[in-house]
Amino acid sequence: MLDKSNPKAQYGVIRHVGNDTMETSALTEPVLLVLMSLAEQPRHGYSILKDIESMSDGSVQLSTGTLYGALQRLLDDGWIERVEEDNAPRDRRTYRLTSRGRRNLQMEIERMRHLTKLASLRVARKEG
Amino acid sequence: MLTVYCWLLCLYPRSYRHEFGDEMTSVFRDARIELPPALAAKVSFYGREFCGLLSGALCAHFDRVFGPAISFPRFHMQRQFRFPRSTVFLMCMILASVVLAINKAVNIVEQKKGLPLGTTAAWEPMLAALLLTLALIFAVVITVWAVLFATRRTGMHRLENLHTRPEQQ
Repeated sequence: MLDKSNPKAQYGVIRHVGNDTMETSALTEPVLLVLMSLAEQPRHGYSILKDIESMSDGSVQLSTGTLYGALQRLLDDGWIERVEEDNAPRDRRTYRLTSRGRRNLQMEIERMRHLTKLASLRVARKEG
Repeated sequence: MLTVYCWLLCLYPRSYRHEFGDEMTSVFRDARIELPPALAAKVSFYGREFCGLLSGALCAHFDRVFGPAISFPRFHMQRQFRFPRSTVFLMCMILASVVLAINKAVNIVEQKKGLPLGTTAAWEPMLAALLLTLALIFAVVITVWAVLFATRRTGMHRLENLHTRPEQQ
């Protein structure tokens, strides 16, 4: 649930670049796409890449360097976690969203929704 | 290409390689298998992968040295300069200290060898040229940015008046 009494907590998504910096900032595109991909189900690295490509109709193709940079930061911040699997090979580990990650993704979606609404209003006002 | 990829992975910090190296190699291998045969697709894929790897390694080293304080992709979108100014000052101090220490060491070596001072300091013109080049680049960047800012083309002015949260309305 979003905290309605605290707008900063609701709209000020914690930057994914640090635990101690509670600054407000939009998520970077790779991070947002990774979170969106994991919101549906736990996935491993290659599956995340393919899902992002499919979500964007092929217009966004992350490199492995970008993907794992984003995954590392999200892991450090506790937004995602590794799924502990028995006999899972070391080169194919699965990631899933934590409750914190899901909450922050919802906040970001709210922020974007508000931004979109604002943009529509301004464009309409200009046209009118 | 897999060999080149593995070689480039060595640019990452060791801890990072230990944690993600196998996975990254595996994902690269899988992605390579599904590559379309067209040459353009291959060039695009390898270009993206190697550029991503280089920038990822750079970010990983920056994160390791300075902490996760810099968000490169959004750097140009931030009104406030997020790189701590105290760090810039400290870096300059460290650079100056290193240069002085090298100079001192060279002098000591020359004294020990009985050479006149300044004989072995042939690297000094190179250092001066490097510093001059960096200063020139810095000056050009600052000038271009100042012109863009003066002509209100940086986008900052628009962002400044943008309210993205309900409480700002």
